[in-house]
Amino acid sequence: MSDQTPHDPRFDNAGATDESLLSAHERELGKKPADNGHYKMLPLVLLFVFSGLIFFAGTYLNEFSGHFDPSVFDEHGKPAQPGAATAAVDPLVLGKRNYDQTCATCHQINGQGVAGIYPPLDGAEWVTGSPERLVHILVYGLKGPVMVKGTEYNAAAMPAFGRVAGSGYNWTDERIAATLTYIRQAWSNQAGPITAEEVAAIRTKEGDRKEMTQEELLQLP
Amino acid sequence: MTSASQAAATAEVTEIDAGARGPVSLLIASGLVWLVVSSALALLQLLQAHSPALLADCPIFTYGRTAAMKETAFLYGWAANAGFAVALWLLARLGGAPLRSTNWSTVGALFWNFAVLAGVVAIAVGEGNSITFLQAPRAIQPLLLVAAAAIAAPAILAWIGRRQQATFAAQWYAVAALFLFPWLFSAAQMMLLWAPVRGVLQAISAGWFVQGVWTLWLAPTALAAAYYLVPKITGRVLPAYDFAPYGFWTLIVIGGWTGGRHLIGGPVPAWIPSIAIVSATLLLFHYIIVALNLRGAFGVKSTALRFVAAGLLAYLVGGLVDAVFAFRALAAITQFTWFTQAQLQLALYGAFSLTLFGAIYFLGTRIAGRAWPSSPLLRAHFAASVLGTVVLVAGLAVAGLTQGNALADASATFEQIAADTRVWLEVAAAGQALLLLGNIVFAYHFIRLALAAVTSPVAPDAVSFRRPPAMEASAS
Repeated sequence: MSDQTPHDPRFDNAGATDESLLSAHERELGKKPADNGHYKMLPLVLLFVFSGLIFFAGTYLNEFSGHFDPSVFDEHGKPAQPGAATAAVDPLVLGKRNYDQTCATCHQINGQGVAGIYPPLDGAEWVTGSPERLVHILVYGLKGPVMVKGTEYNAAAMPAFGRVAGSGYNWTDERIAATLTYIRQAWSNQAGPITAEEVAAIRTKEGDRKEMTQEELLQLP
Repeated sequence: MTSASQAAATAEVTEIDAGARGPVSLLIASGLVWLVVSSALALLQLLQAHSPALLADCPIFTYGRTAAMKETAFLYGWAANAGFAVALWLLARLGGAPLRSTNWSTVGALFWNFAVLAGVVAIAVGEGNSITFLQAPRAIQPLLLVAAAAIAAPAILAWIGRRQQATFAAQWYAVAALFLFPWLFSAAQMMLLWAPVRGVLQAISAGWFVQGVWTLWLAPTALAAAYYLVPKITGRVLPAYDFAPYGFWTLIVIGGWTGGRHLIGGPVPAWIPSIAIVSATLLLFHYIIVALNLRGAFGVKSTALRFVAAGLLAYLVGGLVDAVFAFRALAAITQFTWFTQAQLQLALYGAFSLTLFGAIYFLGTRIAGRAWPSSPLLRAHFAASVLGTVVLVAGLAVAGLTQGNALADASATFEQIAADTRVWLEVAAAGQALLLLGNIVFAYHFIRLALAAVTSPVAPDAVSFRRPPAMEASAS
């Protein structure tokens, strides 16, 4: 029914009136399903597509939403269980990190110290021997001459690391215990672990005090 | 001119169009001015991106301000004006009655454009904000909100007072856009400017707003135009139209949830990007239905539908790219690179602007009561717009992929990355230059059409408007 005039790009003729456009589309929306027993493919296909997308969405969210926990920032992470975080810390990992970041400055990564200045920890009797003496050294520090592996170090200046007055580090008992546990089994050392409870007991008994000396240490068990 | 041809012309060009002429042409004219301004600023911004010395000693045109002015001029200048114009005309047409209270639209449009101008000037002198799409100073934003309400009021009246109770998809999308914009805009203003939420919530709100501007405001506006023009020009009922409501509700309900895709890899709880990724995938259902409904736009000899077809293609490709590149493995490369700009420009220039150009070509002839003055100008605009969009988006996308891959390589120096992306930014700038050219042509053409309509109210070629036939029921 279109007329023969050639297409003029400068304007577009309408193909339908607005009223008929509205009513023709309204009829489409109200259409009943075909009553001749034939299924239409498109609704089924779209239903499957939508179900597939919803299935994917649910699976993805289950996997990567961190259970919608506001504290989970990594999509592979899961919310922390109560108490699980503290139990999961490996004292050797924590101890090695403390040692590498702090202790190794003087005692070196290999635990050999620096000849004549910083005593070695590898094979040192102070490290592998009495846990009580070792805890005292780290918590309160050590000042004055000290004999390590048969060599005299004249002016030890080990600072206090524990949570005691005058300490610049204020390490918790757990950190102290983890660090000592680490150095007691590192390199050629093969001594047993030290627990945070032991550290806490010593710190409570001793209270605040200044650095230890070799003589004081030798009086301890 | 015979009286018979006069009658035929008035059947298609009605008093509805005449009534809408004032506010609609004011909105389109100001929109086109802003479009030219923003594409000039966009070109400057792209040139500065690879030649930072350009105008670097002129504070008004430093990169940050150029970019902010460009975005403000594009979104609130061009996109909003053109969107309001198309929504007003569409709802009046489909409402079947002339617009009432058009003075509200006219006064609103004047205030709106004054506010946009004030915003752009304020950004130029350094008073802008750093929040995407809210760069204009805080004091201006409520004025925009009130002006938008005034502009939209006659459109809402046309919707409420429509002659036919039946509604059509174009009306759903247009009304949704008109109601969702004030919601989005006021909530974003409140959360980001007036009573700023703290910490990471700010980034989340900003992402939601940026995405919402596209998914809940501009995309529905463009879809309203496309859903009207395709059946109106082809004269055929849209295929699979009974699924159009599902497509509509998928976009409205799920669209707003895709905001978190701007935060993938950012310091936000993992579920927010995950929801956005999933929503971008679910939106594919919407794109499938839009493609099924509007496939008649392709291959029709019609100026408006050629633009709509190009815009539709950009819309569908953009939706697919958004869904695919939302996944974390790919976003790890493209996030925070030029690639996200490519996605944005594909949506804003490709999908939105091209479709709206088509709508303006169609309604322009109706409100002016005459054909466009020149077909070479039409062809030049089409070629420049489509080619410009393709080159701009391709240039930005390749620049982004190059940049993203190089940034992931620890041995690549920053200098090397800048050098590698430079050539692709030059390509993008060439595309933007084409777009600027096309937009100037279009603005000039619109001015000629308006002048012709003003100087000789009775169109000499009104005869060419044919009385449209009634639409027949679908063959299926």
